[in-house]
Amino acid sequence: MTAFLQYIVTGISDGAAYGLVGIGLVVVFRTTNALNFAQGVYAVVAGMTTSVLVLHMPLVLAAVLAIAIVTTIGGLMGLITIGIRGDTTPLTSLIVTLGLTLIAESCELLIFGDGPHSYAPIANHAWDVGGVLVQPQYVLLLGVTLVVTLGLNLLFRKTIVGNALVAASDSLRAARLVGIDTVTFGVVAFGLAAFLGALGGVLLTPLMPVAYDSDLNIAVNGFAAAAFGGLVSVPGALLGGIVLGMAENLVVGYVNPQYELTIALVIMLALIGWRARHEVSTA
Amino acid sequence: MNAVALRRTGRTLPIAAAVVLILLPWELSLANQSLYVQMGQYAIVAVGLSLLMGFAGQVSFGQGAFYLVGAYVAGVLATRYHWPTLATLALAPVATAAVAWVIGLPLLRLRGHYLAFATLAVHLIVLSLVFTWSGVTGGEIGLIGIPALKIGSSHPAGATYAAIVWAAVVAVALVSLALVGSRAGRALRAIAASERDAAATGIAVGAYKLRLFVLSAGYAGLAGGLFTYQLHYLSPDSFAVILSVQFVVMIAIGGMGSVYGAVFGAIAVTLLRHELSVLGTRPGMPLQAPKVLAIGVFGLILTVVVLFFPRGLLPALGDLTGRFRPQVAEIAPALPPMPVPGEAERAAELESLRGPTDAATREAGD
Repeated sequence: MTAFLQYIVTGISDGAAYGLVGIGLVVVFRTTNALNFAQGVYAVVAGMTTSVLVLHMPLVLAAVLAIAIVTTIGGLMGLITIGIRGDTTPLTSLIVTLGLTLIAESCELLIFGDGPHSYAPIANHAWDVGGVLVQPQYVLLLGVTLVVTLGLNLLFRKTIVGNALVAASDSLRAARLVGIDTVTFGVVAFGLAAFLGALGGVLLTPLMPVAYDSDLNIAVNGFAAAAFGGLVSVPGALLGGIVLGMAENLVVGYVNPQYELTIALVIMLALIGWRARHEVSTA
Repeated sequence: MNAVALRRTGRTLPIAAAVVLILLPWELSLANQSLYVQMGQYAIVAVGLSLLMGFAGQVSFGQGAFYLVGAYVAGVLATRYHWPTLATLALAPVATAAVAWVIGLPLLRLRGHYLAFATLAVHLIVLSLVFTWSGVTGGEIGLIGIPALKIGSSHPAGATYAAIVWAAVVAVALVSLALVGSRAGRALRAIAASERDAAATGIAVGAYKLRLFVLSAGYAGLAGGLFTYQLHYLSPDSFAVILSVQFVVMIAIGGMGSVYGAVFGAIAVTLLRHELSVLGTRPGMPLQAPKVLAIGVFGLILTVVVLFFPRGLLPALGDLTGRFRPQVAEIAPALPPMPVPGEAERAAELESLRGPTDAATREAGD
C-alpha cells in the first residue's frame, strides 16, 4: 500500500509538469489554432540555462532569468510562425514550429553540448508522510501548477484579453473585423506558452535531467495531457497530465521499468484514441 | 490548356527518365552506388508521405518508424527464423501496413493534427522496443549476420541491387500516379480541397485517409526491407527521430501531393545530408558539428520553405522559370476548381446574348 501511494505521489508531481507543458499547448492552440511542436524546447532550454546560471548566482535568480530568456524566445517563435505570413494554416504552423524546434536543438548542442543537464532541488530532505516520501520539490511543482491553472482559467473566462485570445482562434477574420490584432495575440500566446513550458522545465529538471533531444519526449507527453482535454481545456490538460504521470509511475513500479517509455506512450495513444471516440460521439 | 498535348509529351519523358534511373547504377562508382540506393529507398518513403500530406492534409512524423518496422521484419525473419529472403522482403510492407492500420484506425477519425504527435510517439515506441527486445532485435549492438537477398539462384549486389531498388521506386511511382488519377484519387482530391464538402457528397473521408496512411506506411516498410538487404546489418542508430523529420523535409522541398516532387526531394535531401556530413567531419570541426549542421540545416529548410514557399520549393522554382510545372492533377488542391469543358464557350455565348447595357451596368456595379 505504501509503495502504491508512493507511485501515486510521484506520478502526480510528474503529471503536474506534463500538465504545465500541455497547458502551454492549449494556450497556443486556443489562440492561433496551431499545434506548437516547440513546446518541449521551452522546458529544455529553461532547465539547461538554469543549470549553467546557477553556478554563478542564487537558484531563484537563475530560474527567473532562464524563464525570462525562454519567454522571449517563445515570443520570437510566435512572431515567426504567426506574424510573418499572418495567414498560416494549422499544417503550416505545425511544420514551422518543428523547423524552429530543430534550429533550437542545434543551438542547444552548440551552447550546452549533448550531455544531460540538471541541478539540485530546492531541498534535499524529504518529508515522511506515513511511509510515503514526499520531496518538497514535488509540492512546489504541484502548487505552482495549480496556481497557474486557476489563473489561466480565470484569464480565458473572465477577462477581455482572454476572451479576445479565444475569439482569435474561433474565427481569425471575425476577430480582425472587431479590431483584435491577431498577430500580437499570437505572439502573446506563444510567449505565455513558453513561460509555462519554462516554468515546468525549471521545476522538473532537478527531478529529471534534460538533454538537447529531451524536447520531443516532453512535447509528446504534454500533447497527451492536452489531448485529454480536447486541446482546448486548461483544467483538462492538467488532469490529463496527472492521469498520464500516475499511470506511468504505476507501470514502472508494478510491471517493468524497461517498458516505461513504451507504456507511457501507449497510454498516451490510448488517451488520444479514447478522446477520438468521445469527440466523434459528441460531434 | 490543351490537356491532350500535355498528356502526350507527359508520357515519353517519364518513361525515358525511369529507364535512365534504373540503368544509371552501372555508370556509378561503388561509393556512389550505395548513396544512390539510399536515395531510392528514401524516394519510396517520400512518395507515400507526399500523398498523405497533399491529399489527406495529415503530416506523419512516423515514416521513419515504419521504415524501421519494415527493416526489422525482413531482417529478423531472415536471420532468426531463416525465412526465404524474398518472402521477408514481400512481407515487410504488408506487416508495416498492418501496424499503420491499427494506429490510424482511431486517430484518423479526428480532425486536426493528432496524427502528427501520435506518429512521433509511435517512432519513440518502436525505437524503445528495439532496445527492449534485444533477444530478437540485437538491441543496441544491432542485428548482425543478415543473409544476402536471394532471387532465384542469384544474389543481386552492387549495381544490380541499386537497379532493383530504383525499379521499386518506379513501381511505387506508377502505383501512386495511377491512384491519383483513379476514382479514389478524385475522392482524395475532393477531400484535400474541403473535407466538409467531400463528406457532404458522400465520400467516406476517414476511410480514404486511413487507406492513404496505410499505403504510405506500406511504402516505408518496403523501403525498410530494401535497406536491410543493402547493409546486412541493422542498428537502432540508423532510425533516430531525425529520419522521420528528414522525410518531411523532402516533401517541403518537392511539394505536397506531387509524386515526381517527392522523388526529387528525396534525391536533394540525400545529397545535402551527404555533403553536410562530409563538411561536419572535416578535421578541425568540433565533435558535435555533424549533428549541429544536420539538425540546424533541416530546421532552417523547414521553417523558410514552409513559410515562404508553402507549396514546396520545387513547384515555386517551377513557377519562376515556367518549367517543371507539375501536372494539373497533382497540384489540384492548390488550384481553383478545374473549368468544365466547354464552359468558356458557353459563357462567351451568354455574354454575346446579353445586351450592351447589361454588361455596362455590371461593370459599373463591380
